[in-house]
Amino acid sequence: MREFLARMRGSIFIFTCKIARKNVKIARGLRIYKKLKVTGKGSIEIGENCRVCGIKGDSSQYVCLETLSPTAVMRIGNNVSLYAARIAAKYQIVIGDDVLIEEAGIMDTDFHSIARDRGIPLSEKGDKCRVVVGNRVCIGARSSILKGTTIGDDVIVAPGSIVTMSVKSGYMVAGNPAKALAHE
Amino acid sequence: MGLIRGTSYFIFYNYVKRNIKIGFPFLANAKVRIIGPGTVSIGKGCIVLKNQFKGLTIITFSRNAKVIIGDKCALGGTTIRSFGIVKIGNKAMTAISLIQDSFYMNCDKIGEEIKRRIPPSKNISLGTNVWLGEGSFVMNGSEIGDDSVLSSGSWCYDASYHDYVLIMGNPARSVMPIDKLLRLKGEI
Repeated sequence: MREFLARMRGSIFIFTCKIARKNVKIARGLRIYKKLKVTGKGSIEIGENCRVCGIKGDSSQYVCLETLSPTAVMRIGNNVSLYAARIAAKYQIVIGDDVLIEEAGIMDTDFHSIARDRGIPLSEKGDKCRVVVGNRVCIGARSSILKGTTIGDDVIVAPGSIVTMSVKSGYMVAGNPAKALAHE
Repeated sequence: MGLIRGTSYFIFYNYVKRNIKIGFPFLANAKVRIIGPGTVSIGKGCIVLKNQFKGLTIITFSRNAKVIIGDKCALGGTTIRSFGIVKIGNKAMTAISLIQDSFYMNCDKIGEEIKRRIPPSKNISLGTNVWLGEGSFVMNGSEIGDDSVLSSGSWCYDASYHDYVLIMGNPARSVMPIDKLLRLKGEI
């Protein structure tokens, strides 16, 4: 019953996006178990058979996909499961296939400059701030991935880690700033 | 006010749900949520305080899961998520912290190869009179001795710490025995 309701909710969301929002493109098989919020004018693409869920025991958190400029691009692959993930794109965010994200945040901008007026950061450029997450990556609860990072394939990001530098494929990272724990 | 709310939680969980036991003087100043098929027992005289209005959340993900909390604990906005056994001693103080005995809670849909590489869930045990600071993480396999202090923002994973030490950092390490620290500060 729950599965059926999730599929119904997903197909209704895809239908409303086809009519009202031309910038959001969603492939078949989306399942929405809890609220999905999509805002902004940038283009968003979501692959096949994705799952959108909340976190058990905390009803205030839901999945939020946000684009902050009309030129922003967010691309999410196939079979991705999002558990109360928050993704904010100003330039470009690419997420691969079979990715698990639990209660974590991904953003490719700092939102404010470090100068006194706290205005728009002028030094940020599109190709430098791009965030790329590879295939089969697991990202744990309460961790965040900051601008300009590239995460390779088969990476395990432990809960509570802050990823500020790029991670090669096959590593397990933890800590603040995130460092490699083990490698196979 | 806290006693009335706590007593209503006491009646609801003890008599409606069979797997949960709460000791009698239970003061709840914020929301208490206990979900899941595992067994949960909370000792006598515990208080739930409203740290950022989050309350106490205990979630068990399997039938074998056990969460045992001792007497006279002061629990702030703590979240406990368990597959195995989580033990907290008497008189423990916790702020907004996450106690989680596995890396991922919803990893049944991911591929087999990466599932093998994820570290398995391990039991957690905290001693008596432990103080967990704000924003701290207690991950699988960590054992903290009696009277120790876990500093705010620290992250401990698969390590055991002695009695009466100060633990800091992300990843955490025991910095100094508190006896020595107090002597350096001139408090004893």
